[in-house]
Amino acid sequence: MGATASAETRLTLGITSNLSTVNPYGDSASHLYGLWGEVYGNLCRYSFEKGGYVGHLAEKWEVKDENTWIFHLKKGMKFHNGTELTAKDVVHSFFRMSKDPESSQKQNSSRKIKSVEAVDDYTVRMISHKPTSSLLSYICGLWAISSKDVYDKYGAKEADKNHPYGAGPYRLKEFVIGNRLVLEKAEGSPFLRPGSPDIVIVRKMTESEQRVTALLNGEIQIAQFIPPHLLTRIEKSKSARLVPTSSVEIMFLAMNPAMKPWDNQKVRQAVCHAINREGIVKALLKGQAQLLQGPIGPGQYAYNPDHKPVYDYNPEKAKKLLAEAGYPDGVEVDLYTPVARYVNDKQITQAMVPMLGAVGIKTKLHTPEWVTQWANVRKGKVPFFYQGRGSVIDPGPALSQYFETGVSPRINFSSAEYDKLMQAERAAFDEQKRIATLRQAMSVLTEEAPACFMWTHTLQYGVANKVDYQPRPDGRPYMSEATMKN
Amino acid sequence: MLTYTVKRVVGTVPVLLLITLLVFGLLQLAPGDPADILLPEEATHEDIAEARARWGLDKPFHEQYLTFLASAVQGDFGESFRYKESVTELLVQRFPATLELTFFATLFAVLIGVPLGVWAGARPNSWVDNFGSVFGFFGISMPSFWMGIMLILVVSGYFNLLPSAGRETYGVAGATITGFYTVDSLIEGNWKGFVDALSYIVMPAATLGVNMLGILMRVTRSAILDVTHEEFVTTARAKGLSGQVVLWRHIVRNALITIITVVGLELGTLLSGSIIVETVFAWPGIGNLLINGLGTRDYPLITGVVLAYTVLFVTVNFLIDISYGAIDPRIRFD
Amino acid sequence: MKVKICLGGAVVALLISVGVLAPVITPYDPNQQDLLAALQAPDYFAGKFFLGTDHVGRDILSRIIYGARISLVIASTVVLVSGIVGVGFGAISGYFGGRTDFAIQKAVEVVWAFPPLLLAIAILAFMGQGLGILIIALVAQRWIPYCRVARGQTLSLRARDFVTAARSLGASHGRIIGRHILPNLLQAAIVIGTFAMASAIISEASLSFLGLGVPPEIPTWGSMLADGREHISTSWWLALFPGLCIFMTVLGINLLGDGLRDILDPRLKRASSGVT
Repeated sequence: MGATASAETRLTLGITSNLSTVNPYGDSASHLYGLWGEVYGNLCRYSFEKGGYVGHLAEKWEVKDENTWIFHLKKGMKFHNGTELTAKDVVHSFFRMSKDPESSQKQNSSRKIKSVEAVDDYTVRMISHKPTSSLLSYICGLWAISSKDVYDKYGAKEADKNHPYGAGPYRLKEFVIGNRLVLEKAEGSPFLRPGSPDIVIVRKMTESEQRVTALLNGEIQIAQFIPPHLLTRIEKSKSARLVPTSSVEIMFLAMNPAMKPWDNQKVRQAVCHAINREGIVKALLKGQAQLLQGPIGPGQYAYNPDHKPVYDYNPEKAKKLLAEAGYPDGVEVDLYTPVARYVNDKQITQAMVPMLGAVGIKTKLHTPEWVTQWANVRKGKVPFFYQGRGSVIDPGPALSQYFETGVSPRINFSSAEYDKLMQAERAAFDEQKRIATLRQAMSVLTEEAPACFMWTHTLQYGVANKVDYQPRPDGRPYMSEATMKN
Repeated sequence: MLTYTVKRVVGTVPVLLLITLLVFGLLQLAPGDPADILLPEEATHEDIAEARARWGLDKPFHEQYLTFLASAVQGDFGESFRYKESVTELLVQRFPATLELTFFATLFAVLIGVPLGVWAGARPNSWVDNFGSVFGFFGISMPSFWMGIMLILVVSGYFNLLPSAGRETYGVAGATITGFYTVDSLIEGNWKGFVDALSYIVMPAATLGVNMLGILMRVTRSAILDVTHEEFVTTARAKGLSGQVVLWRHIVRNALITIITVVGLELGTLLSGSIIVETVFAWPGIGNLLINGLGTRDYPLITGVVLAYTVLFVTVNFLIDISYGAIDPRIRFD
Repeated sequence: MKVKICLGGAVVALLISVGVLAPVITPYDPNQQDLLAALQAPDYFAGKFFLGTDHVGRDILSRIIYGARISLVIASTVVLVSGIVGVGFGAISGYFGGRTDFAIQKAVEVVWAFPPLLLAIAILAFMGQGLGILIIALVAQRWIPYCRVARGQTLSLRARDFVTAARSLGASHGRIIGRHILPNLLQAAIVIGTFAMASAIISEASLSFLGLGVPPEIPTWGSMLADGREHISTSWWLALFPGLCIFMTVLGINLLGDGLRDILDPRLKRASSGVT
């Protein structure tokens, strides 16, 4: 390493998820949305500090009528190869998201948006299929804007692999599939902060003991997702600290009413009363979770702080409900959980088994491989399962997906009242009205209990003391927001 | 010799065919569909149907298999569903890492196991023998992932001597020539890169090799003991040759064939052990690729990696067979 | 030599008696949880949990004792099934020769071309979890060493006087194989079997590590070790004790195997090997 290297600051991030493809539209995992956002740039992003969407490549936007949105781009945004980013590149990016056969992001764009046109170099018009008040949640922090010229010249494969020029703060230096990604600061980018690292290395490290060890001996500077039982190792360290963030992933126990005994609302409610959530959070999560009293918690859109807890830990009441439902002698059920997909998922569900057994719900725990489990959940074949739904900032899409009649067969729940509220919610452009409708829908859901809403995890990141970094609830690793201290 | 080689290679073809058929069959039986797992949570039925069609999964089994064979013959194993990259290219990228790891693990096992075995065999029931036996049994009885995690905690965590995961420090290694980082850095005269590569490979190689080390130690010991009582050794001794000369020139040489046989047998175990060791140390080899592929039902990738492993395994067995001839000219091939 | 058999035999005998007596000697139900008592350090003779508790407050000693049972069942079933299948096919292959031999040997070649653990991984990944499937996966390749050795021995036995004599007296093939050949194949099979038992225990642990083991309510040393590794730096007892048990057992069985081999068949070199 020469003289220049000594001054170069380097930040290595140890992540748990996979680095699957150089195609910025080829995966829809939240860490990749974040990394591509840093390379290519987004139109807008969600700011957790401001509690709303802020411009990135776009300056501002307006709603012309309920189906027409206008985005105004910032001027002078340059791709890493020096050409200017204009409206045609946004149109092109929409084209790739919706038409690229390898795109995994169609659902976030074309399903809601009918067309994207360039009005002039700096103005983009988007037309939605149906009035969608939450349209920004399908765009901000998701769309990576890539260059049309580069694509036209080289084609998709070659452009993504060897000419990955974006307009974000970092250029892509190296991408080793499934292993490592290296970013290099794009000098002069307006998105950089003083102290943003010169080189960012993202490494996949799935074993948690290893991530912690690597953090403590200086191999990496940020370690994602420290499990509760390892927190003390970092607390005791002099070179690193813990930085928590809440998560916008809601954890729940889903009960499929298409199958017995889950067709009975009282049995479902009995489950919600039977589980000692405080006990689990204390013992297995070391307090690293916030209990949910409805589908969502504080910090998520339309959360109702006045909402009273409905399901306390009450085994007696659970037994009574079970008896009222026609199972005075108890009932046998099968519970399914993924393993190592969510924080301590197997341990948590293991702990639920005797709790359910105590009220008469004799439970057998199954731990299928995630592929099998997920395929079956999608087909609506799993009776009773522990599940998380991530990226729930605005709960509209997730609640529709899991609980609205006919949207997906996952839980097979159906309630006319709930469906009506969800339709009304989507058509409401007045914010106060929308929030009120959503809250009402969520109360119905809590009462009907097709799922017991458990908690959101507090995610702990291990961060080296020489780095300033605040992780985001949505799991986007925007590394330009990290700064190196000297 | 040449006819033997040709015969062996030709004989391998039906075996490989049957293996692909077996893997394909198992994939069909497997629950879970790649489209279900690889498409995002929001994907609709049409999206899933479209992906299945694009990957050819909507076609009948025999058609899928024949399409695969037709391109596999040309060295094309299709494109990974998940990584959207040619499987052949992925294998070319990752294979050297697995080979390098396997090589160093074998080296570790042979360099320590054989001398230890010779030493123990030459002095049966001495403290060397007893210590060696315990050590050997220790190696055989140790689950490798357990040892790997222990090494990470103690060597990297407690003493901070070696890096805990990966294969190189970014920016230290030079250009990729052979794909073996230790060799590449030497070719380029990059001393720093060589030390770096070594520091990363030591722990995974030791973890992977410890089982073979134990076995080799024990096998060498008993082979030495067996040979020691043979007539020609007694004759050599009677001729007045010194103890060391007899040991190395006569005894070890004759024990070598047993040792090589065992190395060959154990290489298979070692190869599959690399799947676990690569997972523990985040080593970017094909074992790592396989575990990821299984989790996402990435059919082309799984088939490609399994084939790569078997071809490697079959090749190793073949080389071992040939090496007998080199050691003992009395062995002939027909 | 005697020392080996005695030591190994003692370990195996201990294992068997612990496994058989599990319900009597365990202080707790192996699946009984107490969240409030989770992750308690071993208190040896002082308190409630001799070897401490795991992440959901289950008694580690009780789980280890039941684990001995399961590990033993898995290992011996695997050895028995693969021994029967392997020796059976080997004897048939060697005795009849010709097309039968060719077909069986081709199958052997195909299965043997997989690196050992790979086939088990594939089977478990694709067929799901369960004790039965785990045993199938572990047997999948382990019958091969028996088959090869049995075939070789049968080939030489076939030409021996007592076989030709039996045949000339009009004995059926089944009778010849059953009465005259199989008994002669047993010694080698027993030696292979002891080593295979040790490797089966380690393989089970490795597969659990990859998340491909048995369902969670069945305590096995392998799954305890795999679960416990997450806690190694903070609650070492979770992984240490099952790890030690695996180590001691494998050691004991290997010693026994070594000793048996020295007595029964000194010529038989290590025909089966440990799988990491």
